Amino acid sequence: MSATERSGGSTALAAGLGLLALLAAAGSLVIGRDGGGPTFGFGGPELAETIVREIRLPRTLLALLVGGTLGLCGAALQGLLRNPLAEPGLLGASSGAAFGAVVMFYFGFAGASSLLLPLGAVAGSLLALAVLYALAGRRGDFLTIVLAGIAINALAAALTSLALNFAPSPYAALEILFWMLGSLADRSLAHVYLALPLMVPGWLLVVAAARGLDALTLGEDTARSLGFDPKRTQALVIGGTALAVGAAVAVTGVVGFIGLVVPHLLRGAVGQHPSRLLLPSFLGGALLATLADIAIRLLPPGPELKLGVVTALLGAPFFLHLVMRSSARDGSAP
Amino acid sequence: MQRPITPTSRARAPLAAAFAAVSLVATASAASLPKVASINLCADQHVLALADPEQILTVSWLAADAEESLLAHEAQRHTLNYGTAEEILKLAPDVVLAGTYTSPFTRTMLRRLGFNVVELEPEASIADIERNVRIVADVVGQPARGERLVVELREGVRALEARRPARRVGAVIVRPGGFTVGADSLADELLRLAGLANVAAERGLDRWGSLSMEALLRSAPDLIVLTGYRASQPSLANAVLEHPALESLGATHRTVTVHTALWACGLPRSIEAASVLQQAVLE
Repeated sequence: MSATERSGGSTALAAGLGLLALLAAAGSLVIGRDGGGPTFGFGGPELAETIVREIRLPRTLLALLVGGTLGLCGAALQGLLRNPLAEPGLLGASSGAAFGAVVMFYFGFAGASSLLLPLGAVAGSLLALAVLYALAGRRGDFLTIVLAGIAINALAAALTSLALNFAPSPYAALEILFWMLGSLADRSLAHVYLALPLMVPGWLLVVAAARGLDALTLGEDTARSLGFDPKRTQALVIGGTALAVGAAVAVTGVVGFIGLVVPHLLRGAVGQHPSRLLLPSFLGGALLATLADIAIRLLPPGPELKLGVVTALLGAPFFLHLVMRSSARDGSAP
Repeated sequence: MQRPITPTSRARAPLAAAFAAVSLVATASAASLPKVASINLCADQHVLALADPEQILTVSWLAADAEESLLAHEAQRHTLNYGTAEEILKLAPDVVLAGTYTSPFTRTMLRRLGFNVVELEPEASIADIERNVRIVADVVGQPARGERLVVELREGVRALEARRPARRVGAVIVRPGGFTVGADSLADELLRLAGLANVAAERGLDRWGSLSMEALLRSAPDLIVLTGYRASQPSLANAVLEHPALESLGATHRTVTVHTALWACGLPRSIEAASVLQQAVLE
């Protein structure tokens, strides 16, 4: 298949995914959950307006934005590290953000304003990034980044557990735990306004690295000879991911699996060029997160399931199927 | 009504009118009392104890679970919620009761939507119970009922104080997961109220410390207080309670089980936990 055909496939795929994401978003506005299960009616027109505008709209927007962010950053990181296991959580952005949130909760700031908790998360994500740079930024080789990311993740997880140990009440510990599984329940437009100004520059930084990522598929030395500075590409992707994922974790908690699975699902359709994977991964992530959030509302009565749990439940079987199909085909994992 | 008036019915007429007037007044006052929604287990139980059933629009699903709630039977008559803003919005309550640890997102959302959200701090002492009873009683417009519960609670406290054991009895609470309850907690105050010494508090642990099996054995308590929480359902946390060391300790020491719902939330009835403990020591 020629490069132009691939490129055309990528555009068609993006259009299809975008359409599906819009349909899913429309569904998400209509389907509610009244404690006992899905509801499609609204009650009176005034109540319907309030429910859609104040509760379901922010929820739907955040599903699209957070899912898109995770898909986009996952695709970029897999390209940057040339490792199919890369995902936003790998850099410590997610766990750093979660730690920031937990600290806010532990010191009781979260009670003062529900926006302080997210701000703590952004600070944690940026701190994790700063440490990553201090450890590995100057050397710039990708193995060091992966190892540093693993160390930062372990440190952030340990610090989070430490904070939990000191939490003044078991109820607080439980809240934090639930928060770390990711949820979109009862977020408001204020959370959209908080996350979006950080997400958009993050996306732009990642997208600015697209050509550099393509060059990197040929190897660092070749990329350099083509005029792309691997360190600049790396700075763009890591900085963009920290901003966008930090903002995402800030408002929804840690939602796993989207960043890992979505680029994999789509790579077969667009080929090996990381740049062509970015937009489809963004839209695919938005679609998966929205579908997962709808699935939560279709489940039988009970307390609401966490978004991170559902994305893993939906994503993992797909992922396994893909791994098994491709290993049956060519005897190697994708 | 155009029925002919017989002598007997004429005699009853004023009485019936009086009854009608009384019931009219009653319905009028019930209608003017605030309608409440509660999204927190502890707040649920305060509301169920203090408000008229007609005032209660919804309580959380945990309140209807007998493992969690002392008023599960009463809760089952009401609409149950799972603590999301959309459920509350549709019921349009005058007041929403939440805990300070209820999802901050839901609390903020409900305030944004214009609801009066009252938050209850968890009860860490009997004084906290009195405070929360009065808060909820005021919120639901039943202050007299609240004062009655506070008076009863204080009578219960005096009765327990009068029956304290003469000798020192060291007790330790063993919660699932190897946790205990130290100083600065409701369970600690209830223990002391019953006349027992909380070994964990004496060892410097505060509210929710963990006590290793070894520390438990070395503290050599006279009484082991187990909290039976979902004992029939398997969990790692409950497996700790089946530790052979604990069982052998139970063979030589007195063991008493206090239902978790009795003191997980601080309620006027929580002092029943203290009388269960006192009973176990005095027997």
